[in-house]
Amino acid sequence: MKVIAPNGDKLNLMPLNIGPSHGATHGCLRYFCALDGESIVATVGEIGYLHRGFEKMAERGTWQQVVPYTDRLNYCSAMMNNIAYCRAVENMFQLELPERTKILRVIISELSRMADHCICVAAAAQDLGSTTGFFYLFDSREMMMVIWEKLTGARLTNSYARIGGLYRDVYEGFEEDVLAVCKQAEKNLSDVHACFDRNRIFLDRTVGIGAMKPERAIQWGWTGPCLRATGVASDLRKDEPYYDYETYDWNVVTGTAGDVYDRLMVRLAEIEESIKIVRQALKRLTPGPIDIMDPRIRVPSHALAYQDIESLIGRFKSVYEGVRVPAGEYYYGFEAANGELGFTLVSDGSGKPWRVKVRPPCFTQFAAFHELVEGSMLTDSVATLSSINIIAGELDR
Amino acid sequence: MTPEAQEGNIFTSSLDFLVNWGRKNSLWPFPYGTACCAIEFMSTETARYDLSRIGSEYVRFTPRQSDVLLVAGTITYKQAPILKRIYEQMAEPRWVIAMGACACSGGFYDCYCTVPGIDHIIPVDVYIGGCPPRPESFFDAMFDLQKKVEDESYMKQRAERLKEQIEDIKRKSKECREDLVLRKNEACEMVSNTVRSKVNDVLDVFPFKKGR
Amino acid sequence: MNFFETLFPVLETKFNVEKDASAHWDHSVIAKASVLRDLITFLKNDESSKMEMLLDIVGIDYLGFQDYEGPRFAVEYVLKSISRPGNRVRVKVFVSEQDLEVPTISDLYPIANWQEREVYDQYGIIFTGHPDLRRILNHVEFEGHPLRKDYPAHRRQWLSTNDFLLPALEKRLESKGYKVVERSKEVLPNEDEYLTGSIQE
Ligand code: SF4
Repeated sequence: MKVIAPNGDKLNLMPLNIGPSHGATHGCLRYFCALDGESIVATVGEIGYLHRGFEKMAERGTWQQVVPYTDRLNYCSAMMNNIAYCRAVENMFQLELPERTKILRVIISELSRMADHCICVAAAAQDLGSTTGFFYLFDSREMMMVIWEKLTGARLTNSYARIGGLYRDVYEGFEEDVLAVCKQAEKNLSDVHACFDRNRIFLDRTVGIGAMKPERAIQWGWTGPCLRATGVASDLRKDEPYYDYETYDWNVVTGTAGDVYDRLMVRLAEIEESIKIVRQALKRLTPGPIDIMDPRIRVPSHALAYQDIESLIGRFKSVYEGVRVPAGEYYYGFEAANGELGFTLVSDGSGKPWRVKVRPPCFTQFAAFHELVEGSMLTDSVATLSSINIIAGELDR
Repeated sequence: MTPEAQEGNIFTSSLDFLVNWGRKNSLWPFPYGTACCAIEFMSTETARYDLSRIGSEYVRFTPRQSDVLLVAGTITYKQAPILKRIYEQMAEPRWVIAMGACACSGGFYDCYCTVPGIDHIIPVDVYIGGCPPRPESFFDAMFDLQKKVEDESYMKQRAERLKEQIEDIKRKSKECREDLVLRKNEACEMVSNTVRSKVNDVLDVFPFKKGR
Repeated sequence: MNFFETLFPVLETKFNVEKDASAHWDHSVIAKASVLRDLITFLKNDESSKMEMLLDIVGIDYLGFQDYEGPRFAVEYVLKSISRPGNRVRVKVFVSEQDLEVPTISDLYPIANWQEREVYDQYGIIFTGHPDLRRILNHVEFEGHPLRKDYPAHRRQWLSTNDFLLPALEKRLESKGYKVVERSKEVLPNEDEYLTGSIQE
């Protein structure tokens, strides 16, 4: 298309469509850019290619039946979404969970966070041409998958958390497995750093590319690692601590420039912090109950259901009618791997949610995508896109 | 075998066998990964499962260079035309694997925006159940596909075999279209008139859309 | 939390807002659509609140809600402060079915642009003054608004062809000061293709 630039030049721009099925658009998203030679003059993003109707489906089941759907929001760290959702509902009940559950949830969240960051950096490495980095990072992730399989029976979509507890207690040998994963992850991290840190190609393609100013990032509603990469130390685990995060010894990682390099490195550094938290949490893990004792909220175990009638009724009720969440409206934000995962819940006091609205962290990041790439080269847009970690399931719900 | 053939290190075989042997051991997938199942496909490629054992590690992101269209993930109505187009762009011989419950039947997303199974749009050779399927079942599907490739004779037979499925799709899409026309009137009534005029104003991007 | 206790009287006198009775676990105020923009600007800039971040815009449909009387829809703005961690507030605006209009805040928070498009797409609420109010999650040929309670979950709607982003791109170019002299022909769909698309019988 022929255009006249603001400075009076006549340009002949080429419109180019990228996605929704393109090697660099992990998941399904699309951007349409006008190219002048190889640099991007303008771009518009389009989403919704994976709009699966999460919110409509959630209104049809009971509160508990939403949990499997939350798995498929950010499928790279499924269990963290479960925990976020369950915590939001538990907050409406004002429940206090048993100590062991809290610690287990911390461990699981942090492991999921590690897995999520692994996938993000691995995919970014793949896009930048470093298949080695991809394999190193997937190595420790596969080890986590083994733990999850033993723990929940599923590899990816686990549905481990329940409102008022967990699906089941951990298996024997869980602690050793987790420690082994931590050790392996540390080793893989050092390998990956060896791949990247002084790698000319990697540095040339990431440093100074797709930079974002902190003020602008806040206006765009960025949260999580992408916001921290711009230098804003905002982390819900520190700001509004839950599950006793304030008692663990860890640091909020921040970057300085907010470019692709910072975003990837913040993620790698967060894996290290997560390992620290997991190690401390494992030390605190003591035997105890994992579910709250309230048949109206948490389904009583099979063993109890066969023994007394009340638990049996509790089981029936919570399956057929669902958990009766007190009427009201609530927004809860949870620090997920990608940023603040928020749930706006509206309850009318019945067993079914009236409205479940997810605030997906990567929605805000992709909305700002055009600002990141306009003026840079087409190839840089690929690096930028993989660094902001767009998970289509969460983006489009 | 004739003695001449032996001297020149020649062996005879049917062309089908040879072609199929070549095809089946290098099935290059085109991962049309949209959702969670695509992550499992990524795991399949990594060291623990190692897709290169069956010669399929060479993942191509262009439909023109690949043999197997691997649909991993939910297909929504917004994506359906794209999937169809990608299938049309692939050169014969082409095969399709529907990976995961969503691609097979829509999975547990039974609502206004998901296609209830990609076989409404394109013919499918192998279905893999599971949400997501384990990498092992993915391998199983690949073996099934290899078996299928093995006893195929060039294009003719294949076209025959797909005929039924393609006709089925045509029928289905016709039904859907009729359904759509029926429902459109319903939907129009549903949105109250004031909103509708506003919606039209905003949606009026294409001048020719008015005539519809 | 005491930040809200100090903030609320100010809002009450200035913008005539009410406390939302259904928010038992966090802070929410109900405002009139007419004061919404002033209220949000105040919340964003004033020293006492400093809600720099707009987290989410939520549409709610109350059709058939238990014991509920009032306008059918509500739009909720979830705000959070970065400089004062932990301070959050929600602003709720009721929208009646006859009116369906809320002023846009996409010039105050750039992210509101997409979030308002989403609410429009799902509920059909019109944000007046929005620069580019299109569908975002559903496809262009979609009729109706799927998250309304009277939209049956199973009503499926086929799309005949791929969406067409060129008008949006041109808009973007124009907003950056470029002037489009000539459209490129090859990416304009012709009418035939538009109607039948690539899903052909
Ligand atoms: S089948 Fe399950 S895992 Fe696969 S895309 Fe569908 S929801 Fe995701």
